Order: sequence, then C-alpha cells, then structure tokens
Amino acid sequence: MKRRFRASSVYLLAVLALMYLPIVVVIVYSFNSSDLSSVWGGFTLDWYRELFRDRAMGEALRNTLVLGVLSSLSAAIIGTLGAVGLPRSRIVGKGAVEYIAMLPMMTPEIILGMVSLAFFSLLALPFGMLTLFLSHTAFCIPYVYMQVKARLIGLDPSLTEAARDLGAGESRAFFDITLPLIMPAISSGMLLAFAMSIDDVVISVFMTGASVNTLPIKIYTMLKTGVTPKINALCTLMFAATILVVVAVSLAGRRKTKR
Amino acid sequence: MKKLLSIVLAAALVFSLAAVSGCSEKQETLTLYTWEGMFPQEILDGFEKDTGIRINYVNFDYDETMLAKLQAANGGDYDLVIADDYIIETVIAEGLAQKLDLSKLPSYDGINPVYQGQFYDPTNEYTVPYGAGVQTIVYDPEAVGFEINGYADLWNEQLADSLGIIANYRVINGMALKVLGESYNTEDLETIDAAGDLLADLAPNIRLIKDDYLEDDLLSGEINAAIMYTSQVTGAKMARPSLEIVYPEEGIGFGIMAGFIPSNAPNPDAAHQFLEYILDPERAADCFEYLGYYCTTLAAEQYISEEYRSFLTIPAEFADTEMEMIENISAEADSEHALVWSEFKTLCGQ
Amino acid sequence: MNTFEKLRRKRSRSYTLASLPLVIFTIVFVLGPMVYMVILSFLTRAESWGVVAEFTFDNYADILEPVYLESAVQSLKLAFTTTIIVCAVGYPFGYFMAKLPEARRRLCVMLVMVPFWTSSLIRLYGWMIILRANGPLDSALMALGITDAPLKLLYTYPAVLAGMVYALLPFMILSVYSSVEKMDWSLVEAARDLGAGAVRAFLTVTLKLTLPGLMTGIILTFVPSMGLFFIADILGGNKVVLIGTVIQEQLMKVHNWPFAAALSVILMAMTSAMIILYRKVTGSKELEGAI
Repeated sequence: MKRRFRASSVYLLAVLALMYLPIVVVIVYSFNSSDLSSVWGGFTLDWYRELFRDRAMGEALRNTLVLGVLSSLSAAIIGTLGAVGLPRSRIVGKGAVEYIAMLPMMTPEIILGMVSLAFFSLLALPFGMLTLFLSHTAFCIPYVYMQVKARLIGLDPSLTEAARDLGAGESRAFFDITLPLIMPAISSGMLLAFAMSIDDVVISVFMTGASVNTLPIKIYTMLKTGVTPKINALCTLMFAATILVVVAVSLAGRRKTKR
Repeated sequence: MKKLLSIVLAAALVFSLAAVSGCSEKQETLTLYTWEGMFPQEILDGFEKDTGIRINYVNFDYDETMLAKLQAANGGDYDLVIADDYIIETVIAEGLAQKLDLSKLPSYDGINPVYQGQFYDPTNEYTVPYGAGVQTIVYDPEAVGFEINGYADLWNEQLADSLGIIANYRVINGMALKVLGESYNTEDLETIDAAGDLLADLAPNIRLIKDDYLEDDLLSGEINAAIMYTSQVTGAKMARPSLEIVYPEEGIGFGIMAGFIPSNAPNPDAAHQFLEYILDPERAADCFEYLGYYCTTLAAEQYISEEYRSFLTIPAEFADTEMEMIENISAEADSEHALVWSEFKTLCGQ
Repeated sequence: MNTFEKLRRKRSRSYTLASLPLVIFTIVFVLGPMVYMVILSFLTRAESWGVVAEFTFDNYADILEPVYLESAVQSLKLAFTTTIIVCAVGYPFGYFMAKLPEARRRLCVMLVMVPFWTSSLIRLYGWMIILRANGPLDSALMALGITDAPLKLLYTYPAVLAGMVYALLPFMILSVYSSVEKMDWSLVEAARDLGAGAVRAFLTVTLKLTLPGLMTGIILTFVPSMGLFFIADILGGNKVVLIGTVIQEQLMKVHNWPFAAALSVILMAMTSAMIILYRKVTGSKELEGAI
C-alpha cells in the first residue's frame, strides 16, 4: 500500500483534530484539583474518586444509554420503513405526514417539552422510561428518515426490478437488495439520532418521571450550583470507553478483511 | 458498519436488560426533587445509612419545569422539593404543597429568623429555608481604577466592555430600579421603562451576561467587575482573596431557596426525616460549606469553619442596609421587564 | 385488470403497510402536541401561572414589537451564516471521507460521531476554556509572539458562529457522505472523457448527483440552528437575542406560554420555507421509480 499524504487526508485530519480539541481540554481538566476552570490547582484524581462514590450517576448513565439505544433503534425502524414506503404508498396526505414527522426538529425543544407534557398527561401515560422513549423516538425519526430518503433518490431501480423478475417477493427484494444499499444511510441516521438522544435535556426533563434521571439532566441541573469537574471525569471515561470500542471493532474488521 | 453497529447494539441491549433486572427490590424511598449538586455526598449517604431510607435524587433545570411536573403529577410522585422562593409562592397558591408537621422537626427552631416569614410563606407553615443568596458586586481593585460603592458606580466609563452580569432580568432591571430609588417589585410600567432607559447607558460597559461561571471570567481577566450570586462570590473570593465584595449602598436584593413537601407526596414522613436531618446544626454547616450559599440555620453558624465563615453570613455592618426580596409581580409588569431586558441585551450586542 | 396493474396494486399496498408505523406514530405523538401548541397560541395567559381559555390574536400582535421582530431577523441571519459555513467545511469533508478505502472510511465515520457522544454542554465549556482571555489559545499566541495582549475572542459573534458550526457539522458530513458514497463514478469519468474539466465535471455531475445529500445536510443544519440558542448564550455572552432566547424567556421566566407558543408557530413557519425547498429537491416523483 502506498503511503501518500494527500491534501484530502490533511484536510480530514485537520477538521477531526478541531473536533477533538474541546474533548482534550475536558480530559485535562478532569485532573484539575480546583473546581474552577480558570484556576489550575494541580493534578488530582479526586474527581474520579467522587464519581465512583456517586451511585445516582451510574444509574443516570445507564438510563441514558438504554434510552439512546432503544429510541434510535426504533427511530431507525420506523424512519426507514417510512422513507421507503411513504412516497410510494397510497396514503392520502402523505406529504403532510412527512412534514409533521419533521416538526419536532423545527420546534424549539423547550415548548415541545412543555406541550408534550400537557399532551402526554392527557393520554394518562405514566411519566418515566415509556414517555421518554416515545418522545425521543419522535425527535429521532426525522434524522433517519431524511438520511434514508436522500440515499434512495437516484438508487438504480433496475436492481430491485431484476430481483422481482427473478421471483423474489416484496419483502425478499427489500431485505436482499434495498436494505444493504441503504444501510450506510440508516447507520448515519442512527448515529445522529443516538447522539441527539443521549444529549437531550430539555425534552427529557419534562418527559421523565419521579424515578428516572438521565445523565444530561444531571449535568444541566448542576448549573445552579456549578458543574463540577466530576462531570469532566465522567466524560473522560465515557470517551475512553467509546474510543476503545471503536478501535477494537475496527481492528476486528481489519483482521477479517485480511483473512 | 453493519457489523460495528450490531456489536454496539448487542452490547447495549445486554447492558440495558441487566439494568432493568437490577432494580427490583422494594425499599422505603425518599424522592428528592431539586437541582443536582445541592448536597454533599456524605449527607445523602449518611441519611440512607442512618434511616435505611433510599434516596431517589431526581433533578429539574428551572423552577418552572418543577412546577409544571408537579402539576402534571397532581402534587404526587415527589416527596421533597427544594426550589426558589418566588415559585414556592405559586406552588402554595396552586395548592400543591402541604403544611409541615413541626412536631417531626425538633430542630426547626434553629432556623435563622431573618429568612423566615417572607412573602412566599408568611406564616412559616410550608417551608424550611435551605440557603440564601444576595446579589453583590465583585471587582478586581487592581484592574478597576476607582472604588465601587454601589450600583451607580457601574455606569462609570472606565468600566467599558469589562463588566459581567447575571442573566436574570429581575435582578439587573432591579439594579437600575434601585439606582432610581425604586423598589424591585414596582408594578408601574413607566418606572420599569425608566429603568430600561437607564440600562441603555450601561450597555457599552457590558462584556457578558450569563448565569453560570461568572467567577471564572472575573478570575481569568475577561471582566474586571461583576454582579454575581453568592455561591459565585464564594468561589471567586476563595480563589483570589484580593477581590473586593461590595454590598451596594442602594440596597441589597436577596433570595431564598427552601424545601417544601408536595400536597400528595407518597412519603411525607421520610421528607420530614430528611429535613430534620439537614437541620442538624453540624450537618447544616457541612451543607452550607459545600453549597456556598448563606447559611439559613442560625444554630449551624458556630460549626462553620473559619475559612468559610465570612462568606456564609451577611456581615454585621450591612445588616441595617435596606434588604428587599424579589417577589412575583403582575403579568403586565413582568412582560414589560422582559421587553426592557431584550432591548437591553440587543444594545449590549451592538 | 391486467397482471401488471395487479402487481402495482399489491406493491403499493405493501408500501402503505411499511409506512403505517410512521404515520401512526407521527399522528399520535407529534401531531397531538403540535395541535395543542397552536391552540395555546390563541389563548390568554393567566395572571401568575397557566392559561385561560379566552380566544385572542393578541399573542401574534405582540410579536410586532421591534425587539422581537429583530430577534427573528437575528435568528435567520445566524442560521444562514452557519449553514453556509457548515456547507463549505462539511461538504468537502463528507466527499473526501467517502473516497477513503473502506476500512478507513468506516473508522472515519465513527471518529466524526464520537465527539458528539460527549455532552454538548461540556464540549462548549471546553471551547470556552480554549477561547477565554489568557486561556490556552491566547497564551500560545502570545508565547509565539503573534499577539501581545489577550484577544478577547470569547463572547463575540465569531465565537458564536464557531460554536454553531462545530455543533452542526456532523449532520452535514454524514448526509453528504452517504450521498457521495453511493455515487456512480463512471458518470464523472464519462463527463471527463467528453472533455469536461475537473471543475465542470464536479459542478455538472457530482454536485447534481449528491444534491439530495447536500440538501438533507442543509435542512439538518439550518432547521435546528433557527431554534438553537444556548450556544449563542454561552459563547456569545447572551448579547445576541435570538427568537429561541425570547421563547425560552417567555416560557420559563415570564410564564407567558401563549406568547411563547405564538413565537414558536412563527418560527416553524419560517423554517417551513426551507422544508418546501427540500421537498422540491427530493420530490416524490424522483422516488417513484427508485425501488
């Protein structure tokens, strides 16, 4: 393999470096013994110690991840099926449906949270994981839907035609031909949806019940008393874990391709 | 990509199943609803150990969110709420709080009477104060070439582009009202507009407006003077003792955070126990040192360490300065305040 | 009825079936709250908390206050500027990323997303630390002798723009990426063979083929940036008054929900113009034959 350093690679690396810059700062400041970011008080591991003592933090992290996975997964299913089906369906007012599906993205979160609170109370749904899941799925759908729809445009129709000609049923044609072709878009959409879900605070704070806290809620509601570097420590650990997974998976993938 | 996703998903699903199955044991719980970081971990752990009651600590961002949630729950679901004074007035008016059972709070007498009998609970039937704050001016005497004694000094041209203020329009518009010799709580629209006109002249001095981490900007040299909340003052002064704290001569505004028990709280008994637990003078001292707000428990003051004592009580020499709480005002006056505030912020950005 | 017709019917039935979850979910959980919001915008606020069921247009009339109109203009300005910069930075990124060899391409997609799985507030604080007076950037520049006094980068409009671009970049990158990745490169080669220059081939073939992805990226950047305000509040020191800021304040501080709802309806109307454009580009007609 030739190791040429192309201009495009330099560009990719430069932008990526900028993206990671604030995270580097977060990591560095997780070791700062002062709880003020303008003061460097010396190196400490105290924030990590405090983090591990905070049982509620672990629960919040777990809730956040469960919620993120479940809602981005269901958004992926509903959004993908919708993007494939809706434009070709015979549903009256399908344009309106598409528009409504995008509304959560266009509405300021704070009012969306407030009116959803009123609406879900009207439906008498118990506030907690269920309402969080439903509202998160609702605002995650547009991300998957739009990614998949963009991918479908200009996709070569002859491929599915051919499959059908060969006698494949609708679902066979979908799972064997269409799905692999739109997979990159589904995963892009899901990745974005997951990121939106695990970072959401405004909607969650309205949608949660008395027993479920999520990580972003904990972080934002610290503002009253000051966000402690404990959160930096938590972000550092989460970041390290994600990087480990990404590296492990990409190494596994490489070994497989070599074989 | 598909493979990667499926691995991540599988891991997360296993994780989530483990999570769901993990929390099935039934135990007496106290659902505590307030901002994150209001108590030292030792206090929460200590309460759980001493009473066997599990604390379910859940959070809200704004007082208003809390009220909306409490309303949706019809005063149920939550056992103890700690929030700001003005919202508690509305909570009580909406019938969402229950009266305290003082027989369960032997340490109630230790509360500083200065923080009792205020507008939100004039008869002290519903609330236990937990921390108070005043809005003060803090400045760096080395960077500011003159002495600041009151709000009016902030209009000085020497402070051009070097003043930081909190993002609370009742406090900032109120500051202008104070300079005009008016009350924070005036409902006269013309007076509020006059305060707005006065603020327009302050705009060139404003470098930033925000509620969080104002102390960092003062310490880093981004700004030379600021109007801050008490907990921020504590942080700034601890990091750099040379900073000057000014109790404005025009008058001091203050606010109180207080705990109340919602009308249909599932476990009011545990809520009383927790209130009693944190009213204990020694524990209260720990809480206030951690929180950095003014200590509302008189009995606790003797336990506050020397290092913190000067920050956690209002200095005696200011005790006779006029102090006024920011109260709820008419809808019309409040809207006018918001309008004046938006205009002021727009001017600051120009 | 011929066989072809029967087949088409059968197909559209299964497409209808496939889109049902979306239709039901959308109507129940999105339309419901939205209808409530629109109704709210015509009600009257109660004196201290809540609303009174008295119909009024006043909430819409109140928007005509110059400072509130100005906030809408500011939001549009910020959203447009942000979107343009995000396009300029994100399109080449997504394009180059799609042309990487497969293993590295996958890694790159993950690397783009990983920072966004860290709390956005915490990352914003990271930027604050970097940009702050006498912070790392200032110190580095002064040590290198490039500047001799703190730059005061924080709490300025450019700082807000940088924060917005940073927050929305991955939406553009991933949208462009999945569009470029499936592109039929033989068409570009054909154009080149026919004598088109690199620029011309890009403009006439590549750009056209990746337009749906670009348009998706534009929507995913522009629409949220109309409502985003906490970046402007934190990095701009609250000195840019956006429509989102006003909505937030009216809702959470003034307790004037109907006015906040009216402002939100106006905001939605403004962003809808963008959605209409999007629907033109990704119109259903092009999709009819796709599968």
